[in-house]
Amino acid sequence: MRQINLFKLVLFVALLLVVGITFAKPGDLDRGKEIYDKRCTWCHGDEGDGLGAAEGYVNPPPRDFTSGNYKIKSSGFDEMVPNDDDVYRMIRDGMPGTSMPGWSSLLSEQDMWDLVAYVKMFAEFEEAPEQQVDYGTPVASSAESIAKGKELFEDGDRCVECHGKTGKGDAIKGLKGDASERTWPRNLTKPWTYVGSHDPKDIFARISIGIPGTEMPSFADPKSKKMLSIEERWHVANYVVSLAKTQRVVDAENTVIQADILEGDLPDSPDDERWEQMMPTTFFLVPQIIGKERLFRPSNDTITVRAVYNDKAIAMLMEWDDRTKSIPGDERAEKIADKPIQEDGVAVQLPIEIPDKMVKPYFGMGDATHPVNIWHWKSGTKDMAETVAMANSRGFEDIEARDATESGLQAKGSYHDGTWRVVMVRPLTTADPENDLQFIEGRFIPIAFAAWDGSNNSEKGSRHTMTTWYWLQLKPATSAMPIIMALLIVGLFAGILFWWARSAAANKAVGGDS
Amino acid sequence: MIKKRRIPRLLQLVLIVAGVYFGFILTFDVILGQLIPKSLLTMYMFFVITGVLMVFTFTEESTRELIDPIKALVEDPSKKVLRNIVFVIVPLLAGIYTYSSLLPSFEAPVELRTIHPAPPSKMKAYGKRFDLATLENPYRKYEKEDPDKFRELVREGGDVYIKGCQYCHGDKLDGKGPYAAGLNPTPLNFQDVGTIAQLQESYIFWRIATGGPGLPAEAAPWISSMPIWEDFLSEDETWKVILFLYDYTGHQPRSWEHE
Ligand code: HEC
Ligand code: HEC
Ligand code: HEC
Repeated sequence: MRQINLFKLVLFVALLLVVGITFAKPGDLDRGKEIYDKRCTWCHGDEGDGLGAAEGYVNPPPRDFTSGNYKIKSSGFDEMVPNDDDVYRMIRDGMPGTSMPGWSSLLSEQDMWDLVAYVKMFAEFEEAPEQQVDYGTPVASSAESIAKGKELFEDGDRCVECHGKTGKGDAIKGLKGDASERTWPRNLTKPWTYVGSHDPKDIFARISIGIPGTEMPSFADPKSKKMLSIEERWHVANYVVSLAKTQRVVDAENTVIQADILEGDLPDSPDDERWEQMMPTTFFLVPQIIGKERLFRPSNDTITVRAVYNDKAIAMLMEWDDRTKSIPGDERAEKIADKPIQEDGVAVQLPIEIPDKMVKPYFGMGDATHPVNIWHWKSGTKDMAETVAMANSRGFEDIEARDATESGLQAKGSYHDGTWRVVMVRPLTTADPENDLQFIEGRFIPIAFAAWDGSNNSEKGSRHTMTTWYWLQLKPATSAMPIIMALLIVGLFAGILFWWARSAAANKAVGGDS
Repeated sequence: MIKKRRIPRLLQLVLIVAGVYFGFILTFDVILGQLIPKSLLTMYMFFVITGVLMVFTFTEESTRELIDPIKALVEDPSKKVLRNIVFVIVPLLAGIYTYSSLLPSFEAPVELRTIHPAPPSKMKAYGKRFDLATLENPYRKYEKEDPDKFRELVREGGDVYIKGCQYCHGDKLDGKGPYAAGLNPTPLNFQDVGTIAQLQESYIFWRIATGGPGLPAEAAPWISSMPIWEDFLSEDETWKVILFLYDYTGHQPRSWEHE
């Protein structure tokens, strides 16, 4: 009897819970406001107008909820109101590549539903949306579908106009968002920057609805000349997914650039095909927000490096996606750039001495006792070719310019389809070991990078993106040395032991009864 | 005299050395979660072995006890089989060790650093000297005396945080800001009970005002990306942002009174 009662009780409680959860979904406005005031006002503002403290410090800017624009939604393209699930999902998962974090680690489900209710209230959204995205019959990805998608992507510059020929976001025109802020079209080859995930279904929804509040248009709108049918949109989505499969992703475990040894001449041109055979290592670039004049709204986010050396010199290829080729004075470049336009650039930072112990120079341009060597390439202007400069610095304030040619440093850059490739070559040793790093095979050499996008926020001087210290290693050629030494040691040990045993036995024989 | 059966001295020695060796590996790699660098381990083990050898060879008798089994192995004809086995294994082990230590390493060097080094007793910032033993947050008292004013101060501290700190330490103060993945060492997680919850406000003040470069050598100041906030924030703003850190995470600063 008692057991049955207990069972009933458990069932009842479980039922209450289920009912509680289903009824809890429509959020509670008052509780929503309470949470919002503690967690969200910093960015979205007390009034939901996006004018919190973060305004001007982050790009994209925090959403102005009073505008009613929701970027990531699944209601129809001509419908302002998002589904509650859409808003819930963005609060739960956040928007990658922006400062909007996912909140599920800190807030309960109920908290987040309360927030949905409160946030929607800013645009006075009360009714559920009437139209929904029509997904039709999904088309599975295949070589054929991807090829069709590519054609539609390029046809009449449909997507190319903004996303560029290879999808890297190298637009032909400047774009603005609803708060008239500068926006850059997504680099579709970087899946970690998709705010609404790079699942084909999500991409289908983006293509169908567009991204409200930005210039990314709807391709389901019959009024558009570039409209696509449902099936066509699936092909394009499959193509976009295929673009996002890149070799140049950050692997947090891989912190060492391995330079292979090469017989013969080094590739000294960025377009040399031999670079393809070298192992790429990719690092995140973070904006310089640490000292002096800071950069808060960067555009470059990763850099890929390859290196190779021979008996005379080392060559490094730096490769990074940059939506604009910033050449001051060039008419086309000036048109897209934030004013005033600056040169693009990249820099390599090395210690002057390979550290023996753990102690390194301060990663931000060295320090008083540990200077660093900086190699800085710039893209040039309309009237001046690209340049490479060299400097030694002991911190931000103490920079000494040096002559790059004296140390034999050379650099060459090339820009294609939204990607800069810059090669720097320097002899392994120089005549000035007091001021130049001397490369030594096998050693772990700290190395750091910086990049400038001259079309974004006029990046220049200390306003750039950068990495912290990583490692460069000139991989020693495989040699027979270890195996020879090992054999020698084996012989030596065996010899000594044998001799010991023999002489012990001889002693015994001589000593007789000892 | 009763003769106790005991472990042979040679075995004892081997057991002690092996015990210490695995002890190091266990404490570093498993408990502290930081791989112990090979060079450091070699150095520690060198001292341990010399020390143990000195103890074991303290008297002549104990030395003999240690050496006898080895001597017997080499000289005693009845131990021939064992001898042959040992004579093959020892040179082979030496060979393998030589080979592996001569092979070039492609693993990045491990860097050990102290996360919470002892603070200096005095620090300089804002052109003044602060005595960290007595330094207190001048705004902390309002928590009880004037809660409304306190709310306002926390709020102002939050603005400082969003404009200056969230990029690294995260909007949720969980150390996962948008740029955290590009930084090594990673920005600290203030929600964790292992950071600000264990520290005094004066310590936090020292860390914020002097940043990474203000750290002592054992905390590897050359790699920390924590900015020197004295350059960007006023003294007041620093105290307010500290109020915010504790308020948002719900932690209490450690204070002398609690101890
Ligand atoms: C550190 C700043 C920051 C904080 C704190 C923050 N957000 Fe956001 N949020 C953003 C930014 C930036 C965007 C716009 C991202 C974009 O446009 O790609 C955004 C966008 C949004 C969106 C729009 C999603 C869409 O589909 O367009 C919602 C909803 C949202 N935030 C809710 C919240 C809630 C609820 C909180 C508090 C729990 C919060 N945010 C806290 C920065 C923040
Ligand atoms: C007029 C310019 C323009 C055109 C044309 C355009 N886009 Fe976009 N697209 C953008 C912009 C701007 C963004 C970034 C919006 C933002 O700031 O979040 C974007 C973002 C995207 C995203 C990222 C979604 C996410 O979750 O982050 C995808 C996918 C995309 N576009 C696909 C396409 C495809 C496919 C086409 C062609 C069918 C296309 N776009 C045409 C401007 C455009
Ligand atoms: C560029 C990234 C970055 C920014 C911006 C930043 N920090 Fe840090 N901070 C770090 C890193 C990395 C550490 C860990 C290494 C260290 O201890 O120096 C750290 C450590 C700390 C610590 C030490 C905590 C402890 O448990 O010892 C405090 C306190 C701190 N930061 C507060 C702040 C405050 C307050 C701000 C804003 C005013 C801020 N940080 C801005 C990167 C940053």
